[in-house]
Amino acid sequence: MLTVMIADHDAARAAQLEQTFTELGYAVASVVDSAFALAAAVTTHAPDIIIVGTDSPDRDTLEHLCLATRDCPRPVVMFTQDDASESIRAALKAGVSAYVVDGLDAERIRPILEVARIRFEEHQLLLLNAAENLRKAEERRLIDQAKQRLMAHQGLSEDAAYHAMRRTAMSDNRRLVEVAEAILKHLPA
Amino acid sequence: MSKQPNDVTSDVSPIISADNPRRDFLKKTTGILGGAALMNLVAPGVRSAAWAAGSDAPEKTEVKVGFIPLTDCASVVIASVMGFDKKYGIKITPSKEASWAGVRDKLINGELDASHVLYGLIYGVQMGIGGPKKDMANLMTINNNGQAISLSNQLKAKGAVDGASLARLIKAEPREYTFAQTFPTGTHAMWLYYWLAAYGVDPFKETKVITVPPPQMIANMRVDNMDGFCVGEPWNARAILDNVGFTAVTSQAIWKDHPEKILGTTAEWVQKNPNTARALIMAVLDASRYIDTMSNRTAVSKIIAAKSYVNTDVASIDGRMHGVYDNGNGRKWTDANYMKFYNNGLVNYPYLSDGMWFMTQHKRWGLLKSDPDYLAEAKKINQIQLYTEAATQLKVPVPKSPMRSSKLIDGVVWDGKDPVKYANSFKIHA
Repeated sequence: MLTVMIADHDAARAAQLEQTFTELGYAVASVVDSAFALAAAVTTHAPDIIIVGTDSPDRDTLEHLCLATRDCPRPVVMFTQDDASESIRAALKAGVSAYVVDGLDAERIRPILEVARIRFEEHQLLLLNAAENLRKAEERRLIDQAKQRLMAHQGLSEDAAYHAMRRTAMSDNRRLVEVAEAILKHLPA
Repeated sequence: MSKQPNDVTSDVSPIISADNPRRDFLKKTTGILGGAALMNLVAPGVRSAAWAAGSDAPEKTEVKVGFIPLTDCASVVIASVMGFDKKYGIKITPSKEASWAGVRDKLINGELDASHVLYGLIYGVQMGIGGPKKDMANLMTINNNGQAISLSNQLKAKGAVDGASLARLIKAEPREYTFAQTFPTGTHAMWLYYWLAAYGVDPFKETKVITVPPPQMIANMRVDNMDGFCVGEPWNARAILDNVGFTAVTSQAIWKDHPEKILGTTAEWVQKNPNTARALIMAVLDASRYIDTMSNRTAVSKIIAAKSYVNTDVASIDGRMHGVYDNGNGRKWTDANYMKFYNNGLVNYPYLSDGMWFMTQHKRWGLLKSDPDYLAEAKKINQIQLYTEAATQLKVPVPKSPMRSSKLIDGVVWDGKDPVKYANSFKIHA
C-alpha cells in the first residue's frame, strides 16, 4: 500500500483530503500546521508521495528536505484552488511531478498519483543524465586543452599528441582525462 | 474562474498526456535557451544606446512585485502606497506570498515581475542549488540589518544567553539542539550557520537545522521545543512579547550593515524590460529614502502592520524600526545599526562583494560542490549599470567601488578580493 503524506496549514482541507485518500485505500500520514512536525514526519513515515498546497508556507520546509537529501527524495504533488495555467507551469518548472486542482474527484486521484510517481522518476533520470553529460563535456574540454598544450610544447602534430596521450593512459592504466589533467598541471601554459 | 473545480483532466493534461514528453521538453528548453542567448548578445549595447536616445518609456506599466510579510518588505509597499511608482510611469502591485519557494516559482514563470527576496535565494537559483536553475538578476539591495537570532526561554534557564554560553551548553550537555532558519540558501540560514561556527559549533554536526516559515517560528518554538531560530523582524520582537524566547544576537552584531533582502527578478525579465526595471529601482529608491527619514518611520510601521501586509500589531514593528531594542533578557539599548533602507544610498548599491559572499558560504556549507567563478556570477546577477543609471537620475550617491570591506563577528575581514581563498579558509565547514 502506498503511503501518502498531506502537508497543509488549513486543518479543514487537510481533513477532507485525508478522508478522500483513506477511502481510496492509501495509508495517509497527515501533518497540519507545523513545519517541525512535517520534517519529522517525512523521516518517520517515508511517504511515497507528498501532497502540499501551492499556497502553503510549508513548501519552504519541503524545499529544505529536498536539499538536505540532495535530490528530492519523493514526488511532491501540489494542489490549489487556483487553476491558472501559470501556476501549473510554475509547478512543472520547479520539478513538481503533478498538479491537482482543489475539489478532488476521487476517481481521478489514483491515476494522477500514479503519473506523478512515473514523472518523478523520469525527472530524476533526466537530472542524472544532465549531470553525466556535463561531466563528459568537461572531460572532453580538458583532453582537448591538454592536447593543445602538448602540441605547443613538443612540437607535435595533433594526431601525434593525441596518440601520445592515449599511449600514456594505456601503459599507466589511467583514464585519458587523468593524463590530460596531469599534463595541464605539469606543463606550464 | 472559468473551469469547474473538479475538471482535473484538463488541468493535468499538459503535464501528463503529451505524446512524447521528453521531446517536448527538449524543444521547449532549446527554445528558451536560444532566446536568452540571443538577447545576451544584443542587450547591453543596444540597451544603453536606446536609453541614450531618450526612448526610456517603461515597456510595461503594471508591475507585480512579490513580498513576504516581514518588516523589510516596507520599501516595496511604500513605493506603491505613497505613489512613488507613478512618478516613474509604472504602477506597482504588491503581491503577498506564502513561501519563498512560491516566490521563486513565480519569478521563474513570470507570474511575478520582481520580488522582495532573500539575497541568498537569488544566488541559489542562479547556481541551481536544490531546485530549478535560471539566470537571475538583483536590481538593488532593499535593506541592511534588522534580523536576529532568538533562543528559547528553556535555554536561558540553562544559562545559554549568547553565542559563547550557548556553545558551552551544547558541548557540556550534547543532545539534538534544533535551530530553524527560513530557506536553505537564504540569508537567515547563513547568519545562523556563521554565528554558530564563530563560537566553535558545527551547525550540521552538533545541531539540527530545519526550515520554518517566518510566521510559524513562534508557534513552533512554543510547542515543539525548538531551541532557537534566525528570522527577520518583527518575529524576534514578537517572541519576546509572547514570552517564548529572547534575542541572543542581532544580525547587525554578526555583520554590521550586512546585505539582507534584495529586489530580485530574472535576467530574462531585465533584458526584456530594462526601462521598467530602471523605473522600478527609482520608485523603490524613493520609498527607501522616505523610510529612512526617521520622522516618517512610525507612519510606515502603521501602514505595513495592516492585515494585507505584515499583519501584526504596530508595537512589535515600530520599536526596532527606531533602533529601540530590548533583548528580553534585561538588556535595553538604542542600536545605531537598526534596519536601514537607504543610508544615503549605501544600502541599495548592489555590491559585487555582497553577492559573492553568499556563494562563498554556499560553498562553505556544501550547497555548492565546487568554487564557481565568483566574480563572473556576481557581475551577471547584480545589475550595477541599471542601478547606477537609476541612482544618478535621482542624485543618489553611488559608491566608487563595487567591493566593500567588512569585519564580521569572528574578526575575519571580507573584502571580495579573493573569494576562493575566503570560501575555503573556514575551520568549520561542511
